[in-house]
Amino acid sequence: MHKTLIAVALLAAGAAQAQDKVTFATNWKAQAAHGGFYQAVADGTYRKYGLDVTLQQGGPSVNNRPLLPAGRIDFLMTGNLLHSFDNVKNKVPTVVVAAMFQKDPQALMAHPGQGYEKFEALKNAPVAFVAKDGQFSWWQWLKAVHGFKDEALKPYNYNLGPWLANVKSIQQGYSVAEPIYAENQGRFKPVVHLLADHGFSTYSTVIEARTETVKTRPDLVQRFVDASIVGWVNYLYGNRKPANAMMLKDNPEMTEAEIEASVALMKSQGIVDSGEAAKSGIGAMSAARIQDFYGQMVKAGLYKPGDVDLAQVATLQFVNKGVGQDVKTKLGAK
Amino acid sequence: MSPMRSVWLSAFVLLGLLAVWEWGVRAAGIPAYTLPAPSLVVQTLAAHWGSLAASWWFTLKVTFGALALACAGGVLIAAVFALSPTLERALFPVAVVLQVTPIVAVAPLILIYVESTTAALLLCAWIVAFFPILSNTVVGLRAVDANLRDLFELYRATPWQRLALLRAPSALPYFMAGLKISGGLSLIGAVTAEMVAGAAGRETGLASRILEASFRTETPKMFAALTLLVATGVLIFWLFNALSRWLLGPWHTSESSRSD
Amino acid sequence: MPETDPSPLISLHEVHKRFEPGVQALAGVSLAVHAGEFVALLGPSGCGKSTVLRLVAGLDAPSAGRVDAPALRPGAGPATAFVFQEPTLMPWASVFDNVWLPLRLQGQTHADVAPKVRELLAAVGLSAFERAYPAQLSGGMKMRASIARALVTRPQVLLMDEPFAALDDFTRQKLNADLLQWWQRLQPAALFVTHSVAEAVFLSQRVLVMAARPGRVVATVAVDEPYPRPAAFRHSTAYHTACRALGAALEAAGHEASAA
Repeated sequence: MHKTLIAVALLAAGAAQAQDKVTFATNWKAQAAHGGFYQAVADGTYRKYGLDVTLQQGGPSVNNRPLLPAGRIDFLMTGNLLHSFDNVKNKVPTVVVAAMFQKDPQALMAHPGQGYEKFEALKNAPVAFVAKDGQFSWWQWLKAVHGFKDEALKPYNYNLGPWLANVKSIQQGYSVAEPIYAENQGRFKPVVHLLADHGFSTYSTVIEARTETVKTRPDLVQRFVDASIVGWVNYLYGNRKPANAMMLKDNPEMTEAEIEASVALMKSQGIVDSGEAAKSGIGAMSAARIQDFYGQMVKAGLYKPGDVDLAQVATLQFVNKGVGQDVKTKLGAK
Repeated sequence: MSPMRSVWLSAFVLLGLLAVWEWGVRAAGIPAYTLPAPSLVVQTLAAHWGSLAASWWFTLKVTFGALALACAGGVLIAAVFALSPTLERALFPVAVVLQVTPIVAVAPLILIYVESTTAALLLCAWIVAFFPILSNTVVGLRAVDANLRDLFELYRATPWQRLALLRAPSALPYFMAGLKISGGLSLIGAVTAEMVAGAAGRETGLASRILEASFRTETPKMFAALTLLVATGVLIFWLFNALSRWLLGPWHTSESSRSD
Repeated sequence: MPETDPSPLISLHEVHKRFEPGVQALAGVSLAVHAGEFVALLGPSGCGKSTVLRLVAGLDAPSAGRVDAPALRPGAGPATAFVFQEPTLMPWASVFDNVWLPLRLQGQTHADVAPKVRELLAAVGLSAFERAYPAQLSGGMKMRASIARALVTRPQVLLMDEPFAALDDFTRQKLNADLLQWWQRLQPAALFVTHSVAEAVFLSQRVLVMAARPGRVVATVAVDEPYPRPAAFRHSTAYHTACRALGAALEAAGHEASAA
């Protein structure tokens, strides 16, 4: 009798622990680079951590960023720290709580045999297809440090057609995504230059939250970060099928083969689980690295030395705890 | 009401609205990145005047450039249509198709096909602006008083005399009506095209600056650029109204009646 | 005066005019007007009197029969002038520019014609309104300008299509008297369409009565009073005799029409 009562009570308590509704907006259409998050929704990880998560896609011309300070979304994925620097500079009350990618896969690709084998040649390309988000972040860095010119800019609307048609043009992309599509559509292996290899040392696919949320509901933030980390571990090393199916529904132009190829690249290029993440778990961040990246951006002329109070850019309280390492071991991954 | 009085009244209402905005933002503590106060917008405008003015100039160039081309194209094609009903029947549907295709959908394609981004922007703005001028001028060129037409025939006027002394002045009120519409549309076309294009080489217009500010969460700068855009729209409206009054005032009913 | 020149300046011989769809405007109309004659065409609406004017002006061609008039002779200058029922002034031009239009269409310059035009404007009483626009004139003044324009080329033929029909009685009578004065300076062959018996008698030497459906001349009444004709003419026996004769003729024509 008592056992039943306790069981019912626990059940009731479990049900009463209402799932916290959370909206998480991404910065592109669904692709493998979002895999971990989709995994956590698809395999119930978020639910296990008491979260009812809705994923909201971004896109080439979509700007989800104002939605976070406006309170319309709870967490936001951004592609690099420049966005966070801008926010702090403009006194927008948001903060970075985790960095899922240790390496920014932002890259430029070109047709082979057109003289773009060396990175230095890219700046002379007559046409560069860049989407809005990139135009106002890493492209500014390319202009300042590597001599790229605005005259070459043409909008990238998620359609590789124009780049495929113009052999002298270059194209933005994620090193783990666009080259795969290029090979499928164009039947050639493009030349790929990773910005991270030339000094763009930012974290990527970072999770931003409102400072207010971090202050008043740190438990919610911790649960979201932890569940997301576990989602990534499961995605990279476990059964990806539920996540892939969900992403294909969100973005019907994607194919499963492309997703799998992308995951392989993410692993081989050490995008997610390398360096600090290998040591302290996915999502790891360090103040030193953030400071170093900011210093480089100041040198590039994107900011003035006092513009950004670095202490407000990110908080380390939710990461570097080795979350997900046990799951990784259980899955037998190295 | 005298013209001076109505100017004062409009100014008063405008300032009143700005005051309400300023007070409202302060009282409700609305942060600058959501809705900046007018005073902050003015400050930002002053602080970034150099680059914003340059962008403003670019937008003005595209807007008025496209408008001039729309006038030239619209009047020319209207004259052709007026002289050749066959050509008109053949080509008018093309003009209609151009008119109804939303520029937001067509702009990305144009940007792909046309090499120079500035040329692409001009083309987009032109497409939006030329149809009202064309259709109004066609009507105007035909709206010649029948008796006047007989009079010119009686005195054996040459086709050129007929065009310059009879049809063109007859068409003028209609053309002006079309021009007033196209002025505003040209600005919209230029802004829309630029929103889709983004940066246009060395020079960028106000729409690019708005986009850039939006992506970098610099909301006061967004509003500053927006203010300049609105000012441009008002300027165009006032300019063409004044032009219409000057050209048509003494003689056309659309301008001669003073409503109060 | 008419008898001194046996060959008429204007003649219609068995003229038929049919308009689509099947309206017989004129059926077998024959008439002649000599140089210096003032002839009135009198009849109800639809009797084809305006059509006769247009045939004489060369603005229309007959369906059958022959029309001979200065306007139809090849190489003829602006020998024919037309005054429409509406003033038919160009609204965008000043009175001066309206009046010298026929000379301008002949290739003359402003400097050439200015003194002539001013003199004419003085004769019609519009000197003070040289630079006014038609919109600023009364109906009577606009009609004076229209007549001045007709007279500016010193025409051989003056065609007038109910020019005073839209004016009030006072203005109409005044303009009747003024018209005779102006006509007397050059004495062009005048063909004056009206449906006012009084006007026809006061102005002309010969009144042709027309009937409708189909349009044809049914009677001629002579008015033997010499020019100039003072206002007192309206009270004379000759005037009343002519009016009565015309009244009878019109009635007869009316009965014919209803019987047909």
